Amino acid sequence: MTAAPKSGAGVTRPGFVWAAPAAVFFTLFAIVPLLLVAVLSFTHWDGITEPRFNGLDNWTALIDDPVMIQSIGTTLLLTVLGVVLQTPISILLGVWAAGHQRNRAVLSAIYFVPLLLSATAVSVVWRAVLDPNFGVPSQLTWLFGDGNLLGSRGGAIAVLAFVGVWQFTPLHALIYQGGARAIPQVLYQAAAIDGAGTVRQFFHITLPQLRNTAITSSVLMVVGGLTTFDTVLILTQGGPGTDTTVSAFYMYQKAFKSFDFGGGSAIALVLVAVATLISLAVVRFTGYDRMHGTTEGL
Amino acid sequence: MPRQRPNVLAGLGSLIWLLLVGLPLYVLLLATVRTRADYSTEGPLSLPAQWTLQNYLTDLSNGFGQDFLNTLAVTASVVAIVLLVVPPLAYAIVRARGRATGWVFRMFLLGLAIPAQAVIVPMFYLISKAGLYDHLIGVILPTAAFCLPVCTLVLTGAMRDISPELYEAMAMDGASPARVFRQLVLPLSKGGLSSVVVFAALQAWNGFLFPLILTQSDSTKVVTLGLYEFQTEHGVDVPGLLSAVVLSTLPVFFVYLFARRALVQGLTGVGGK
Amino acid sequence: MGSRFTAIAAATALVLGMTAACGSGGSSSDGGAGTIRVLVYGDATNKVEKQIVETFNRTSKVKVVLDTVPGADYQQKLQTVINTPQAPDVFFNWGGGSIQPFVKAGLLLPLDDFIAQDPGLKDNFLPSVFNSAVVDGKPYGIPMRGTQPVLLFHNKKVLADAGLTPPKTWPELIADAKTLKAKGITPIALGGADRWPTLMWFEYLYDRIAGPGLLQKAVGGDRAAWASEDSRKALATLRELVDTGAFGTNFDSVKFTDGGSPALVAKGKAAFELMGSWYYSTQQDGNPDFAKSGLGYTGFPTIDGGQGDAADVVGNTNNFYSVLKKSKHPEAAAAFLKLMYSEEFVKAQLAAGNLPTTVNTVEYLDTAASPAYSKYQYELVKAAPSFQLSWDQAYPPSAITPLQTAVQQFFNGKLDADGFIKAMQALPTE
Repeated sequence: MTAAPKSGAGVTRPGFVWAAPAAVFFTLFAIVPLLLVAVLSFTHWDGITEPRFNGLDNWTALIDDPVMIQSIGTTLLLTVLGVVLQTPISILLGVWAAGHQRNRAVLSAIYFVPLLLSATAVSVVWRAVLDPNFGVPSQLTWLFGDGNLLGSRGGAIAVLAFVGVWQFTPLHALIYQGGARAIPQVLYQAAAIDGAGTVRQFFHITLPQLRNTAITSSVLMVVGGLTTFDTVLILTQGGPGTDTTVSAFYMYQKAFKSFDFGGGSAIALVLVAVATLISLAVVRFTGYDRMHGTTEGL
Repeated sequence: MPRQRPNVLAGLGSLIWLLLVGLPLYVLLLATVRTRADYSTEGPLSLPAQWTLQNYLTDLSNGFGQDFLNTLAVTASVVAIVLLVVPPLAYAIVRARGRATGWVFRMFLLGLAIPAQAVIVPMFYLISKAGLYDHLIGVILPTAAFCLPVCTLVLTGAMRDISPELYEAMAMDGASPARVFRQLVLPLSKGGLSSVVVFAALQAWNGFLFPLILTQSDSTKVVTLGLYEFQTEHGVDVPGLLSAVVLSTLPVFFVYLFARRALVQGLTGVGGK
Repeated sequence: MGSRFTAIAAATALVLGMTAACGSGGSSSDGGAGTIRVLVYGDATNKVEKQIVETFNRTSKVKVVLDTVPGADYQQKLQTVINTPQAPDVFFNWGGGSIQPFVKAGLLLPLDDFIAQDPGLKDNFLPSVFNSAVVDGKPYGIPMRGTQPVLLFHNKKVLADAGLTPPKTWPELIADAKTLKAKGITPIALGGADRWPTLMWFEYLYDRIAGPGLLQKAVGGDRAAWASEDSRKALATLRELVDTGAFGTNFDSVKFTDGGSPALVAKGKAAFELMGSWYYSTQQDGNPDFAKSGLGYTGFPTIDGGQGDAADVVGNTNNFYSVLKKSKHPEAAAAFLKLMYSEEFVKAQLAAGNLPTTVNTVEYLDTAASPAYSKYQYELVKAAPSFQLSWDQAYPPSAITPLQTAVQQFFNGKLDADGFIKAMQALPTE
């Protein structure tokens, strides 16, 4: 089952065979579809008849499509909002939760609950909670007015951003908590001896030490933002109008609601390209693919 | 970590966050034990006039049980597939010297960036051409495939921490890679393995997009789809709907109670130590 | 530790085997021991469909398996599977534009042979309705629910308390809206988040002001029709209603499909709702007491000086069952379709508040859940010179999303009349 040892006398190492099953499986169900997306983006396919090539038609249509351009803007907006809102809250929460006081453990358990819910469940719960006539806004009209949260562009985006924060901050807080717990105590002790207060310690020790964690977390946030779909589908269906039609949702709409699978594939390819570029950049930047231990990213 | 003086600002912040997290949870749990009429007339925040467990019973008798079984089947199968292919892969990545393995690792790293939404159209095409549309296996295979990058990352991380001396010790005994795998690598990466199991299980349990596109009948419906359908058809029956949410989260909650560490690590995709 | 790996492998094999065996749940056109799959739109009327399927399965060797799909995704699911091995043998549709792409792709079975064997499949239905599913001269669908004219429903108590009677003319509607608003009641409930309820207002206004001809021309490809003066007049009238606040302000956060807007009317928070006649069934399901005694209904108000006949209706002439050409059990499908004009079917639909379009319906009207309601619908449809099919079914399915988006954006002010006209002109017509 193994190749002959390749280096180091007497050291037997696993051969490629060990990696093969996973590689084949992944190629079949992830890489091949990826290539197909590229191919499909040059075809016209309505799901009923067979796909047929139409050259660059989908792509030219995409460039001229105002909804596509708007969707890119909306996606960027939501992603940036997500990062800007979630990062400080996650850092603060994570650092706070890293402390060892007892009450923090109890509260942490509660903060953790959003992570247990599926994205679907989170969206379903929030839609019910925010219903204008039967949800919380109907009982707290002094705070919510007429409760038309999902009916205006600002409101819908705010709700999506808020639900995203609600759903994912616990995750990032956990990541930061892990990072904060790994910061060597000696640094703080030394700073305390030098007379630095809590705030200074935070800004001069905690934050810099969390740099790698921040990179991991931010990449997750960005890729997550690019692929927001479930929440949009359940909360706003891309509306009102096309105000919250993020690119991933527009792709779904184009393919499965307008039955333009070729056009949908073009959008999908754009999404993949952007996500890949970001991923590549980060991998390069942090040297993730070199053989180092996990502690570095956290 | 500063721990002496109580941090007032932090305390205040955590209280606000508690409110933000707690409020919907409060509404959620409370709604499930109220009647529909009570919820719509009294509003979501008031205490119920009468308590009832009828919502849960109705949900269960409305086919939610079948959704559960389907989701269970999907979850178990996805975990099984992941456990079958990822440990050997991670072992190879960490220990093999060939270039091919290096490329495989890079392929998986890049795979982290592939969003499932992007390949949903060709996935649909492939699955339906293969005759697997509206079969659970048609959901299991793609879901498992998309778990692989993160699981690989986690497990390679865990395995990298096994010190090389241990390998050399076994090599001097003339151990084959298979023996090294069984007797050294697997036991020492238990933390990573449990993270991987939890991660894959959660992905499968909470998966929504693949079931949405690749299934259709009631007999292959999974729990997340059940929630979505419930909301689109009876969304005004909030107590019933939210009871379904609670039911769908119960298994995850139990895992949380009994295997919190593994759950946390699985969620954050962090390697085991 | 080898035992652990073995254990995992064994468990895997077991699970995968189990899954493949029983988890294969799903669908296939020949479904093992002789089944046919029937796909329907998921809503309150499913209880009738389920009943008919049970009746059929009692005596048929080939069994029917009924699948429902939540309304919002119905067309999508259908079009997704229609050309796969998992396509349903028989499926629900709206006739007209909704089956046009399938006919063009040669996927549907023309029903001439079925009708030749059993002429009742055609003769027992009202011709105007039956013809909605005739494409290129061949019949492709059998009516399977009730006719669904769009009516203006109201909460009787709310109107009575405000000292109002249901409006017969447009100015009356506007005046009623103002009165109700002053009392803090949302005059008209609207499930704007679903978008197609908003469309109904356009459908009636265009019909009243411009007559049914405009839409027929537009669907036929004459895009200039949208820019006509009548079209602009309709838009201006609609804008006037929206601007008086007749729909409230949060309608785009409210849905019909999840019971939100009907609940508003049932609870007296709103007075009116414009909806297809299935509204009765919906209210019966969600607010049975209200449906029995508190729900009122009228036709759409008339508009002076309009081209359309005041007796015109818009809505769905009916829903149809079409049959897949590749079905493995066409005889079973034909036998199943026969039930669509059976006495049991007619009575069951009437009991659910729907009005079947069989020629013998009128004999059973007294058995309806609300005989007054069914008789009213019957007279209304009988007397209507024109029954305009819902726009989003008249247009091909690929036009649905942009059409609904434009409609929503006009109501919330994002699009003005020019913008709306442009959007409508850009809709695909085939």
